[in-house]
Amino acid sequence: MKQSIWIIFLVMTIVAATTGNGICEEGVTDTEIHIGQWGPQTGPAAPWGAVARGTDAYFKMINANGGIHGRKLVHHFFDDAYNPAKTKAGVKQLQEQIGMFAWVSGVGTAPGLAVKDYLMERKIPWIGPSTGSRHWVEPPQKYLFNVYPLYLGDAQVLTDYAVNELGKKKIAIAYQNDDYGKQGLEGARFTLEKNGMELVETTPVAVTDTDMKPHIMKLKKSDADAVLLFVTPGAVARLIGTGKAMQFNPQWLSTTTCGDFPLMMSITKGLYEGVISASFGMGKVEGNIGEVQGIIEPKLDLMKKYKEEAYAKFAAEDERWGYTFCAGFGLAEPLVEALRRCGRDLTREKLVKELEGLKNFRGIMGNISYKPFDPEDPLCRLGQQEVYLQECMADGQSKILTDWKETEYIPKNE
Amino acid sequence: MEMKRDYYEDVELFSSGVIIFWFAILIGFLALYPFVFKNYYVYVANYIAINIIVVVGLNLLVGYTGQISLGHAGFFAVGAYGTIFLMSHAHLPFLAALLIAALIAAFLGFLLGLPALRLEGPYLAIATLGFGLTITQVIGKINLLGGRQGLHAPDLIVLGQPIDTDRGFYYLVIPITLLLLLFARNLTKTKVGRAFVAIRDADIAAETIGVNILLYKTMAFAVSAFYAGVAGGLYAFVLRFIEPELFNLFMSIMFLTMTVVGGLGSMMGPIAGAILLSWLDLELRNILSIPYIGQWLQELSKSYFSLTGVSNIQFIIFGLILVFIILFEPLGLYGIWIRTKKYWKTWPF
Repeated sequence: MKQSIWIIFLVMTIVAATTGNGICEEGVTDTEIHIGQWGPQTGPAAPWGAVARGTDAYFKMINANGGIHGRKLVHHFFDDAYNPAKTKAGVKQLQEQIGMFAWVSGVGTAPGLAVKDYLMERKIPWIGPSTGSRHWVEPPQKYLFNVYPLYLGDAQVLTDYAVNELGKKKIAIAYQNDDYGKQGLEGARFTLEKNGMELVETTPVAVTDTDMKPHIMKLKKSDADAVLLFVTPGAVARLIGTGKAMQFNPQWLSTTTCGDFPLMMSITKGLYEGVISASFGMGKVEGNIGEVQGIIEPKLDLMKKYKEEAYAKFAAEDERWGYTFCAGFGLAEPLVEALRRCGRDLTREKLVKELEGLKNFRGIMGNISYKPFDPEDPLCRLGQQEVYLQECMADGQSKILTDWKETEYIPKNE
Repeated sequence: MEMKRDYYEDVELFSSGVIIFWFAILIGFLALYPFVFKNYYVYVANYIAINIIVVVGLNLLVGYTGQISLGHAGFFAVGAYGTIFLMSHAHLPFLAALLIAALIAAFLGFLLGLPALRLEGPYLAIATLGFGLTITQVIGKINLLGGRQGLHAPDLIVLGQPIDTDRGFYYLVIPITLLLLLFARNLTKTKVGRAFVAIRDADIAAETIGVNILLYKTMAFAVSAFYAGVAGGLYAFVLRFIEPELFNLFMSIMFLTMTVVGGLGSMMGPIAGAILLSWLDLELRNILSIPYIGQWLQELSKSYFSLTGVSNIQFIIFGLILVFIILFEPLGLYGIWIRTKKYWKTWPF
């Protein structure tokens, strides 16, 4: 009796191992495509966790509309609390026990870098990390597709606008002392050099700085008439607030990370009015310069669709319809588009090929293009390279100042 | 029964053949572990082993010597940065770099031990807290250490063997962990260990009978920091990328929590604490996939605890487990072990 149970067990194991989805790619079955994502839902970085929830609603919308070539997207997202050790644990577990076909987005530079090698060694595609870090494309990786535009571009467009449109003569910058801030510094210097100018002042801001008086003093002394802000939203609020108190009111210009005007208005208590900020998308309508628009009532059809079919139906009741949530759509769009182009016969290599074939793809963000893999050329994996500028209005709406502006990639000088 | 008759019985590492037997079984199990369990669990084991090293070291300080530290993430950071820096800039082999980095951490521990001579309780907690917070700020300012942009770990080569899998790393971490555990166990059984305990129980009395407080308090800090340094150096290769933000206050508190929940002043306690809490920390994320209960917890969390509809119940449960352990078992997990042992020894009475 006992023996026969063993034999049955053995036969079943062999049958299970040889049939089923043996021919399919990992993470793909007849009816499902498994996609993984991490994002902090707790801890200090929790506000950025909205990206993962946005992607979740987006995938649910796609599934409700019939999925992709008869397959549903199964979205596995977990909370890593912005702790890279946990990111790595979660990624390994999902990858090894369930098997993800690809990974999408993923908040944070440190969490992403902790798993980058792991994913790349296994040739698992990863699309759209949610930070504009140079680490994703320097050096470029065959299976890592960047979507989020580099902050280098923000700095170029902001500086160019300040100099050539607003006629500002003295440009200064307050920058965070890390990858993000340094990109701002490089981009601004690059554009000023083209115009035969120099930064009149640079003041580094530490993440932990709460007293901004020394920074404002320095900026005021330089008599800057436009100041670029490459710092966190909290530090932007403190800098503008301290500036106001010390009667230093230059034209403030901020990056895509501070482009969520309703949010910025509330944390600066209204002082954000008149600030110019770069934006990487979220529903800009072609050629609408001078128009006033807001994310609350989107004008772009695609954005309207997302609001009605994804946000209204699948987001939690208290979910805020804001930039971070919508970034969850934008960062996943290239993946979904490539999955559509792959057709029914889906493999990772085919996905990579289709992604490489994306030329001027536009969803709710800017143009996204990739090129066949070239280990020497970061541009082949850079994705979006354009941003536009908007000005914050009194009610948190945005006035569109420019059309999409193409930016230049500046090689890193070590 | 277990009456100790002379000094040598007290200091021996294994008190009976039974213990040696079980220890051998444990070694055998650890040796086979990566072949029995899936790769993910090997990663988890590495993570747990690193926490065990820190917590056993911290226990020498907190449990045996009665000092407190809220700054161990700082020593951990020194170990991590030191190892990577010495490998990539001084081109030292991994083990040498790890040892030197841990010694640097130990030296900083010694320095931190000096103010500890005059500080006690909450004041000492604040002083060590200050150290932990300062060190990451300092590292963030040093461009040679990558500043706030962080550092990538070089390829790991130990004794000519490249190590690039979790399994390979396991066979590096586990021997180091066992070695450090044996050393700690040995230390507590010697003159030094007894001096630590004497300082904890009554430092003035200890001084009057000739225990050199200056020496042993600073030594406790140095040894404890050494352990954190070794663990930090290994941790750098678990993540392969480090930045100052990682070594935050929460990490220090987590180390201390593991020590206290495990049970102060014992060897098994901190090990159990480190295993349980590291495991919960990584695994509670999956609580929602437990059949039936998971579904219910998810609903509960979405209706009452979470603003955004994401179930964050794992952190509530994590907190509850901590509260219950401390509430019902003030001696920590070690207390449960003592009671179980007593029960079986006197069974059936």
